[in-house]
Amino acid sequence: MKKQQVKRTLPDYLLYILRVLAIFAVVFMFVPGLNPARMSGLVNKTLSLFTSGYSYGKLTEEFTRAVTKGWVEEGTLRLLNLSSLGGCIGLAIVAAGMCMSLGEIKLKKLGVGVTILGTLVATGCMSGLFTAYNAFCNSTNTDKVEPIFANGLIIILAVLAVIFLLSVIVFFLLPKAKKEDKFEMQAKFKLFLLLLPFIALTLVFMYLPLWGWRVTLFDYKAGYELTGDRFVGFKWFTYLFKNAATRQDIFRVMRNTLAMSGLGLATSWCAMAFAIFLTEIKAMRYRRFIQTFTTIPNFISWVLIYAVALAIFSKEGFLNSVLIDAGIIDDGILFLQSSDHIWIKMLAWGMWKGLGWSAIIYIAAISGIDQQLFEAATVDGAGRFRRILHITIPSLLPTYFVLLLLSIAGILSNGMDQYFVFKNSMNKDTIEVLDLYVYNLGLGSGGASNVALATVIGMMKSIVSITLLFLANRGSKLVRGETIV
Amino acid sequence: MKDINEKNEIDDKVILGMEKTSYISDGPIHNFFFKPKFKGFGQYRFSVMDAVFNVLNYFLFTLFTLACIFPFYYLFINTISDNSLTQIGAIKFYPVGIHFENYLALVNVSNLGNSVVVSVGRTVIGTGLMVIASGFVGYLVTKQEMWGRKVWYRFIIITMYFNAGLIPWYLNMAMLGLTNNFMAYIIPGIVAPYNIILVKTYIESIPAELEESAAMDGAGYMTVFGKIIWPLSKPILATIAIFGAVGQWNSFIDSMILMPDKPKLYSLQYQLYIYLSTNSNLKTLMESGGSISESMMQQALNLRTVQFTVSMITVIPILLVYPFMQRYFEKGIMMGAVKG
Repeated sequence: MKKQQVKRTLPDYLLYILRVLAIFAVVFMFVPGLNPARMSGLVNKTLSLFTSGYSYGKLTEEFTRAVTKGWVEEGTLRLLNLSSLGGCIGLAIVAAGMCMSLGEIKLKKLGVGVTILGTLVATGCMSGLFTAYNAFCNSTNTDKVEPIFANGLIIILAVLAVIFLLSVIVFFLLPKAKKEDKFEMQAKFKLFLLLLPFIALTLVFMYLPLWGWRVTLFDYKAGYELTGDRFVGFKWFTYLFKNAATRQDIFRVMRNTLAMSGLGLATSWCAMAFAIFLTEIKAMRYRRFIQTFTTIPNFISWVLIYAVALAIFSKEGFLNSVLIDAGIIDDGILFLQSSDHIWIKMLAWGMWKGLGWSAIIYIAAISGIDQQLFEAATVDGAGRFRRILHITIPSLLPTYFVLLLLSIAGILSNGMDQYFVFKNSMNKDTIEVLDLYVYNLGLGSGGASNVALATVIGMMKSIVSITLLFLANRGSKLVRGETIV
Repeated sequence: MKDINEKNEIDDKVILGMEKTSYISDGPIHNFFFKPKFKGFGQYRFSVMDAVFNVLNYFLFTLFTLACIFPFYYLFINTISDNSLTQIGAIKFYPVGIHFENYLALVNVSNLGNSVVVSVGRTVIGTGLMVIASGFVGYLVTKQEMWGRKVWYRFIIITMYFNAGLIPWYLNMAMLGLTNNFMAYIIPGIVAPYNIILVKTYIESIPAELEESAAMDGAGYMTVFGKIIWPLSKPILATIAIFGAVGQWNSFIDSMILMPDKPKLYSLQYQLYIYLSTNSNLKTLMESGGSISESMMQQALNLRTVQFTVSMITVIPILLVYPFMQRYFEKGIMMGAVKG
């Protein structure tokens, strides 16, 4: 397809600005810090304009007392709620209009018109917020109702005014649509708009969390606002190394993480061996049976695996009963409570869960090997082991190599599920891996929670992981001439 | 003796379809381990080593398979056996005093009904939306003419390889009002980059002519997707649906982190974890107002039985579905081997 050079005119440039503003308006709806509906200290500060609009219950959570005492009329709260809802609808109309402005001239003009309408709706509804503010100010008990004038209202009104002005200008600058024109849009923009909701979801759930990294620079506790006076610079980064207790913790946790990942890496060939030996079983039905039942544990959650562990290894469990019956021991052993060999035990559980599953990819690779190679080798007098050594293993090595590189890249990410379910007061020192440590430190119920420090550690982990992945990719490119991701 | 041996040898030859084979050792074991279906690689030599290897191989695999099956069997026989025996660990290999009251008694276990509804709900709704979205996005990103196609595709895909970390994720969810909210199970999972790659790769293998001819007849993107792409990509959609469903069914960390104040929104897995990790006595598990039925009184429900029975109902859906869906699972992992 040849690229057409389109001459851009003033309205086009103005539309770019308008679209940026529209994106801001949409984001605005979801940012609690900018909620224009927070006209009273009783409105929860974690609420965004969107939530204030759709959930009356959440908006008025803390107003129950104020309403029963007659400080605030229920009508005011309804007004606050409906105004927020209307504001959201107005902003959504603005966004929709801006999407339509991607179309051809007739649709574009309509889109700008819709945008103007949207600004009017939004502004109209937002004025309701101001009325609510006045009502709060005139309350009989302003001390308890705490009227605050939300800065968000001024910001959004200013933005709406700019959008309104620019839209009107664009509306009149745009050439008149011909009568035979239809409401059309180029395919490329149509497709983009179809994808847009999913891009937005990705942005909100995958990229927006990066904004949370800012708490690393603050003295943060749950519920605090990140204001200037809580700014501590790189305190937490240096704290990580300066504070002896934290340093020891990190050292211990890193040792656990690396040990368990290392054991995983060291035994990663087991899946390949499993596949090779499984394919040596020539009774197809039986092989199928083995394959089916050894892969099932992979689809069981770690909680259930813990249930299995309890069933088999607890004091009244299967193993103890059998051992007692056999007269080997007199009293049940608390296998799960002991802290001995915890790394090996975790490895064993991991193997039990994942071995059959990770072998599947190798089994498929083996069935992909040219049978003539085996036949030729057999004719030349190679036995089973020679064929495995010289044909099967070399054919599997590329796959193994890729998977190995990927697991090296993920060496810090063992996940927390497994260790979380198996941890107890006896083994907590040796079982705590980095992911679990971050959880315990940041969200754990223990009194020593430190969100900022946990975020610092998580952030460093993310950076190291992505670097490792990048290196693994490079390594793969060097060795195999092919990237892995 | 000699006769028998000779007969064996002849049988082997006939069965294996081998003409001149040099048997170093022979014996019934070969009859057993080399089924007629196996045609062999021309001249196949059997040796003592081979026999030992085979026996060992079969033995070890059987052992491992048993290790994979037995725990579930053990859980099951304990749930249907006499509860007083279960409690002291007397049920080992076979059930004693079979009864099914434990499963009926679960009605009285606190919060279990809720968590079943939550888990089923999140599995059905979450997976459904994820599959539709993956299919649609997978289709859209194959369209060369899209504005900024490559940029947006990478924008979505690259999120597979990095994340901001647990705490920022939690803070973000809290900021969006998705804590103590059922939607937290659904919305973040709608866009699944890995599944999008799988679908995209699959759709690329569908002949473009099909789509073009439909487009010639005036079909729009939505029509093409609904009438052509969706039906044709059913195999891959089934695959991601199954993976998605298992993922939803099995997750519990999100319940723990995101639903601190709403036990009613706990998923079944997390509820099970709570039952497993509880040290308190059975009474706290039971609904305070729940009437204890007669059969329960007789059977004297104990903590261990409750744990096992809840485990069983948690694992049964997977055990039931898995054998039938195995080929989809395998297809899934194989398709994952192609890179995005």
